[in-house]
Amino acid sequence: MSRAADVVVVGGGVIGGAVAYYAARRGLRVTLVDQPKPGRATSASAGGLWPLGESAGLGCGVIFHKAMVASGAAAAGQGPEQLPQSFLDFAIRSNGMFPRLSEELREAAGMDIELEATSLLFLMYDEGDEAFARALRQSWPGRRSQLEWLTPEAAAGAEPALTRELRGALRFHGDDQVNPYRTADALRAGARRHGARLLSHTEVTGIEVERGRVVAVRTRSERLPTGIVVNAAGAWAGQVAEMVGVEVPVRPVRGQIVCTATLPPLLAACVSTTDCYLAQKQHGEVIIGSTTEEVGFDSGVTLTAIQTLCAGAVRAVPALADVEVKRVWSGFRPGSPDELPVLGPVDGLEGYLNACGHFRTGVLTAPLTGLMLVELMMGEQPSYPVEPFLLSRFARAAERGGGLARRQVEQVEEAEEVGGREGVRRRG
Amino acid sequence: MARRRVEVLPAGRRMRVPLLVVGGGPAGMAAAIEAARGGLACTLLDEGPRLGGQIYRQPPASFRVRDARALGRDHGRGAALRAELAAAGAGIDARPGTSVVGIWGRDVAWVAGDASGTITAEQLVLATGAYDRPVPFPGWTLPGVLTAGGAQGLVKTMRVAPGRRALVAGTGPLLLVVANQLHQAGVEVVAVVEAGRPSWSPRALGKVWGEPGLLKDAWDHWRALRRAGIPLRFNQTVFAAHGAREVEAVTHGPVDPETWSPIRERARRVDVDLLVVGFGFVPNTELTALAGCRHRYVHELGGWTPVRTARMETTVPGVFAAGDGAGVAGALVAVEEGRIAGITAAEQAGLLGSAEAERRRAPPAARLRSLARVREVLDEISRLRPGLTELATPETVACRCEEVSIAEVDGALAHGARDLQAIKLMTRLGMGPCQGRNCAPSMALHVAHAAGEGPEAMGRINPRPPIKPATVGALANLNLHRIGDAQGRAAQPAGSQG
Repeated sequence: MSRAADVVVVGGGVIGGAVAYYAARRGLRVTLVDQPKPGRATSASAGGLWPLGESAGLGCGVIFHKAMVASGAAAAGQGPEQLPQSFLDFAIRSNGMFPRLSEELREAAGMDIELEATSLLFLMYDEGDEAFARALRQSWPGRRSQLEWLTPEAAAGAEPALTRELRGALRFHGDDQVNPYRTADALRAGARRHGARLLSHTEVTGIEVERGRVVAVRTRSERLPTGIVVNAAGAWAGQVAEMVGVEVPVRPVRGQIVCTATLPPLLAACVSTTDCYLAQKQHGEVIIGSTTEEVGFDSGVTLTAIQTLCAGAVRAVPALADVEVKRVWSGFRPGSPDELPVLGPVDGLEGYLNACGHFRTGVLTAPLTGLMLVELMMGEQPSYPVEPFLLSRFARAAERGGGLARRQVEQVEEAEEVGGREGVRRRG
Repeated sequence: MARRRVEVLPAGRRMRVPLLVVGGGPAGMAAAIEAARGGLACTLLDEGPRLGGQIYRQPPASFRVRDARALGRDHGRGAALRAELAAAGAGIDARPGTSVVGIWGRDVAWVAGDASGTITAEQLVLATGAYDRPVPFPGWTLPGVLTAGGAQGLVKTMRVAPGRRALVAGTGPLLLVVANQLHQAGVEVVAVVEAGRPSWSPRALGKVWGEPGLLKDAWDHWRALRRAGIPLRFNQTVFAAHGAREVEAVTHGPVDPETWSPIRERARRVDVDLLVVGFGFVPNTELTALAGCRHRYVHELGGWTPVRTARMETTVPGVFAAGDGAGVAGALVAVEEGRIAGITAAEQAGLLGSAEAERRRAPPAARLRSLARVREVLDEISRLRPGLTELATPETVACRCEEVSIAEVDGALAHGARDLQAIKLMTRLGMGPCQGRNCAPSMALHVAHAAGEGPEAMGRINPRPPIKPATVGALANLNLHRIGDAQGRAAQPAGSQG
């Protein structure tokens, strides 16, 4: 029954699902292999699509930055670092694919990924927040039309549930949200509808390489002959890459999330503060995230995180104080040293493609990742330049003598020193 | 580089206790009593307004009881235990109205209304009890369908008759107790249908012989049922509850004596406005799971149970589990297990010598051996048979929080899901406020039955804090208060608007 696949995708999260979906849609014979693991990021994710916010370091970035300032590991007065322009453009392009993808998946899989035009609001509590927002507005002159400065009165008018203790808010138009696991489910179902074969609960045990070419993927129960393997294994991507002798510097960066009971509409926009972010999902739950911690594959939750996230949520939306918490969970962002995804081919090994290292933005950048990967498989010019995301960038940075990668590593070590168990990398 | 730690609050603000007992039912009370007798001060938390747990539940303080005998034999046993607790004096710091929402190592987070905090315990006894096993069948979520424990709670605690005309279905001796209590409360009980069948062989009788009290209990309940003219039918069960908005009628009928598969062609319909269903209990193992204890699946004990030594210690040293929460075996067993846990905790704290501890453990250990023989007899009747999972139809609700149907669960199975965690992600089953308490036990059996595997292969839906209702505001204040501050204190941060 199993004829050779054109491509085997390892990992069934939102990235693997997107690669499988776009590949199957192009008529490729796709096999998706997935082994669900505790802490898989897609299921843990909040589902924010915040290309502007994420690039500016909102979401988890400002939260982590504040913690670092408090612990003395980062200087006060300036916000978190912005990600490079290449990432911003990449994220914006991917975000723009969602409306059409949503319709396609509704058609192909009969599933609603709950895409909502919410916008993202950054709340300014103090002078530092305000200075950060001002600088952000100045640094993106080309994006002025997407940024809206709200006075405290305007913020209260737009979002009555917000605290009145605000100096204002900065709205990012176009930063929206989806339901992350519905999105992954729909992508997998869509892939299947286009003929993909899905092997759930199947662990990849090896990848066969002959004369520098990938020839097959092995699972516990079968050998899957294929010319192409895509590593979309999220936080576990390093382990998959190791099977072909490639070192992919992706590691788990834990984020904890608090989820409230189902509520009537309370927040129209997603909200980002220096304490937490909040997103009310279509189901009515408010998701309160998130920490950024390097604790390996420990998918537990901590008292401190629950307390600080809840306190941050009550500060932003006082009415949440009386709302019940439904659950707290955690997930592993697949973090790369420069926080950018690791995409495309590696030197000296044909038929192997990375689609990993998406850190905080896997849901957001899944569509463009999927599309680019298929274009790379087909030997076409990708819709977006892959160069900034190639694995080889780390080697080049190292050759340059302690470039980007090295600087990042030092920061990581420092953060771990300072934060101890709850310590962390730069941001998430 | 100097190591600096980020602390929200100085650790000194947290409360430290030598022994924390979670759960104020028979097992928890007994553990506290024996620990205090051994000289070990202990803090006893219970979520109810008064101690006693489900079985020794007391009417609210505002109720006046004229004739205590009317409350039944369990009430007497509860009163005796409460008297022991009172006699133990200041060694026990009892805190009703306090829920434990999570455990991190030895740090226990609690919530009492808007207040919350953390207690660090040197030793822990988890005596969390059990809850009614939900069994899905068409109509099981209709108002007017109550669990045996729920119906008992209404009658026993609140003195409320939950309906006018009732059918009682399920398995086990509790059915007789509930039927009699309903009858006394003025409810017309049309029948008690017991899925199992007693095998009163001489061997079985011999096993119960050492427990005359229990034998008399059973006999009394059975005789009362006879006097009330309530028929007791074996190898029968409920098939469906009918009604537009609430229960108006129930279909019931015979089951295969070996498998309990429903024999639908012989179903009968009866008009009732109350259906009481009792298929036994499921241990509350959220806290033992969060404490990191190893668990195993024991069908007869209600499912997943913590692995324990004969001294009730779990696989985590210093963490004990006692009572129905460690495997459903009833209040009498719970008390003895609690005693052993309390004595051992005092011994491990260095307050009792090993010989003295052994001497104190001997009587409860002997009682447990005797009760275990009765247990074997009850298991022959009430061990759940796989045909029970055939009661549900594809349209039947599996997860009532998220309104997931059996058909959706089966769809997830067809899509390759092989355990409860995967089904959860695909269907939202167990994602509601109950965290799968109401669906996981029955779905483990359903999926196992469909997949031809044991329910243990289905895994568990991992408990996540908070395991009891807690508000965002309360959790925002975790470890800000000592436990003594809990009463009558508004813990809302400034600026709260409610």
